[in-house]
Amino acid sequence: MIPKSDIPIFIPAFNEELTIAKVISELRECGYSQLFVVDDGSSDNTAKKANEAGAYLIQHIINRGAGAATQTAIEWARKKSFSYMILMDGDGQHLPRDLEKLVQRMDAGDCDIVIGSRFLGDVSAMPKSRRWFNRMANVLTNFFCKNQYTDTQSGFRMLNRNAIENLQLTLDEYGFCSEMLFLAEQKGLKVAEVAISTIYTQYSLSKGQGFYSGVGTALNFIWKVIFK
Amino acid sequence: MEIRIFQIVVPIIALLFISGIFFRYRKSDITIYEMILGFVFWLAVILVAIFPDFFSEGIAKIFGIESNVNAIIFFCLGLLFFIQFKMYFTIRKQQKDLTELTRKLALRDHLEE
Repeated sequence: MIPKSDIPIFIPAFNEELTIAKVISELRECGYSQLFVVDDGSSDNTAKKANEAGAYLIQHIINRGAGAATQTAIEWARKKSFSYMILMDGDGQHLPRDLEKLVQRMDAGDCDIVIGSRFLGDVSAMPKSRRWFNRMANVLTNFFCKNQYTDTQSGFRMLNRNAIENLQLTLDEYGFCSEMLFLAEQKGLKVAEVAISTIYTQYSLSKGQGFYSGVGTALNFIWKVIFK
Repeated sequence: MEIRIFQIVVPIIALLFISGIFFRYRKSDITIYEMILGFVFWLAVILVAIFPDFFSEGIAKIFGIESNVNAIIFFCLGLLFFIQFKMYFTIRKQQKDLTELTRKLALRDHLEE
């Protein structure tokens, strides 16, 4: 089993001052020590809270979007020659206990990216609107991909060195989740999925994409797929 | 067939835009697909300018417009599309540069330690 000390966890965060410290302390309690927060130009105290909680802070001086923050995390991992990296949300919707599922699947050695899929587990907690939105995004992304994925929009992912070396995301906004899968297939990276649970709170539901930004993301993704 | 001035001027302007797009592609400012898209658009403008009656009658039938002012409308539309096109690529490039700059600053601060 890959030791927890060898697994850096990156949390792209934008205005997550209410949850970031709790997320970091829970990860510490679970034994993960390499914690990085990519503060994407937050206008609140996210950076301060993350720092106080003991995470290593990587800061965008201005907000560039979740995709841009994720690519910054990947470049950091590449430059530091990390063998693995995990990406998870800073709003507290991902459970630290699910990290082991990703690590175990990666440990099997037959994949480069492991996605924590909400749709392989119990989705009853997911609000209907969110479920509908994610399924539409799955249909759209799977249409352009060779393989079929159950949760193309999950931000809970583990990458190995091969993936870290080969992924170069170009979409700054939320389309990066789909783009990562699209690029992975282009680069011949193997993608696996494991079931995860998620906690939906009023707060976590207020984050993420709304309907209109989702439509924008979809159009952006289609443009990228067709014209790149 | 009587040749009107805009049937010469508009294709010349369109060809200038096409050469501009080609040079932008050579400088790697745009992708080959974006260049093709630009070519298709400006070739369409040329066709409309050279055969205005054919297209204007077609459009007139569809939209019920009956006037040769169409030529001016087409030209203005072409110009507006061009401005939109140019603005899109300019903004997209600036957004990309801004993200790169932000990332470089973020990584530089730490990786130099």
